Amino acid sequence: MQEFDFVKAKSLDHACTMLAGKRGRAKVIAGGTDLMIGLRNHRLSEEVDTIMDISGVGELAYIREEGELIRIGAGTTHAELALSSILWEAAPVLSMAAKSIGSPQIRNRGTIGGNIITSAPCADTVPALLVLDAALLLRRGESVRQVQIADFFEGPYRVKAAEDELLLEISFRRLRDGAKSLFDKLTRRNALAKARMNIAVIALQDKNKVVKDLRISLGSTTPIPCRFTDAERLFLGKVPRREDFLKAGQIISSEMVEKSGYRWSTDYKKPVVEALTAAALKRVLKAE
Amino acid sequence: MKKIRVSLRVNGRIFTLETDPNRRLIDVLREDLNFTGVKEGCGIGECGACTVLMNGKPVNSCLVLIGQAEGSEVVTIEGLKGKNGELHPLQEAFIEAGAVQCGYCIPGMILSAEALLQNNPHPTEDLIKEAISGNLCRCTGYRQIIDAVKIASKKIARKE
Ligand SMILES: Cc1cc2nc3c(=O)[nH]c(=O)nc-3n(C[C@H](O)[C@H](O)[C@H](O)COP(=O)(O)OP(=O)(O)OC[C@H]3O[C@@H](n4cnc5c(N)ncnc54)[C@H](O)[C@@H]3O)c2cc1C
Ligand code: FES
Ligand code: FES
Repeated sequence: MQEFDFVKAKSLDHACTMLAGKRGRAKVIAGGTDLMIGLRNHRLSEEVDTIMDISGVGELAYIREEGELIRIGAGTTHAELALSSILWEAAPVLSMAAKSIGSPQIRNRGTIGGNIITSAPCADTVPALLVLDAALLLRRGESVRQVQIADFFEGPYRVKAAEDELLLEISFRRLRDGAKSLFDKLTRRNALAKARMNIAVIALQDKNKVVKDLRISLGSTTPIPCRFTDAERLFLGKVPRREDFLKAGQIISSEMVEKSGYRWSTDYKKPVVEALTAAALKRVLKAE
Repeated sequence: MKKIRVSLRVNGRIFTLETDPNRRLIDVLREDLNFTGVKEGCGIGECGACTVLMNGKPVNSCLVLIGQAEGSEVVTIEGLKGKNGELHPLQEAFIEAGAVQCGYCIPGMILSAEALLQNNPHPTEDLIKEAISGNLCRCTGYRQIIDAVKIASKKIARKE
């Protein structure tokens, strides 16, 4: 394994002061479920000489409800998310995403913050947080900033955060009354099946089935994870027709090809994206 | 690379050691403390052979840096015992159900099952499957393992 010095952050302030003092030469480890693979493969950048452990910083692990707002500490594990009754009630789409991750062992260590910062194309919490319009709170030294998750990604495995910036919190509004949400993914038992895909949807219809709100996001589809607003607009203000479910899938698969280009995997991915979308929409939307 | 001092409790005993920080919990458990019941399969979190209980929860010891285990309570298969040094009910049940072939996956498998039974002494089959979903077995096909966990659950109920 690569060589480095190791420090354990004693508190949030300690972590931020350390990171600022190291000016990009320190790297954070939370659950380590992504970083340990990187260390093993000698993928730590040359400049980094220190690993700083934040897994013991209790101030980063919480799920709080403040009126309409749900606030989640970046150090909260997937197991904690999947067990939270607050979350199952306020935003089941995120509970389902967290529950689907890896294995019990991975969920016991892996954190929501690490999932966002690694920003793998197939990161499961990301589409869920995109449809929740989540905001991220980051801290660098003494300065704190907030950014919408939709503006946070730069490309696969690249986020718009400085090396010495710490992700503190993820927050979003709870689902509106009557809204339905869903997370689904191509199941993976076979460790070789890399091209996985996932989908998160939130939908709200009035009593006449008119769609008041619809948000759709799929992972592993575009270089920068996003919502598919063209497909969403197909339904807004209308009563869904059955044929629209597949049409929405086609809109999304075209957008995928437009943004990612035609690749070796496209022929395989196109029908999957279409079927995954249609199936998910069918489950959350009542049609005519 | 500066050495670090780490104190952790393994199977009830406190160990304090000085070590290079770029070692994993599994390395220290096997090489320094001689708990060789912890097995390494893949080294990347996918097989579960290295599963130990850390503060009561199953984790992959191949993905934990030794410094991260500071102050924690670790249980390996060597720490699992029945009363008066007898076999633990899970160990008895694995033997009875014929759930062990080559045995490589078994320490991790049993610890995952132990974590489940601690939280839920009477799990459904689905919960058992879920609890061992991070533990691969190349030999048994899982049926006997699931049966073994059910048998253990009954044994534990009887003893209570
Ligand atoms: C076998 C296996 C299966 C997996 N299955 C899935 C799956 O099904 N779905 C899925 O989405 N992912 C999966 N993962 C990936 C991984 O478990 C998740 O991405 C996890 O959420 C990472 O969190 P962590 O705390 O372990 O991150 P770490 O490995 O500790 O860190 C990851 C990155 O984030 C940075 N970081 C962590 N926390 C912060 C913070 N608060 N502020 C700033 N930077 C931070 C680190 O510096 C590092 O760059 C799997 C991994 C393995 C090994
Ligand atoms: S050796 Fe740790 S999970 Fe395979
Ligand atoms: S008994 Fe051989 S791997 Fe499970």
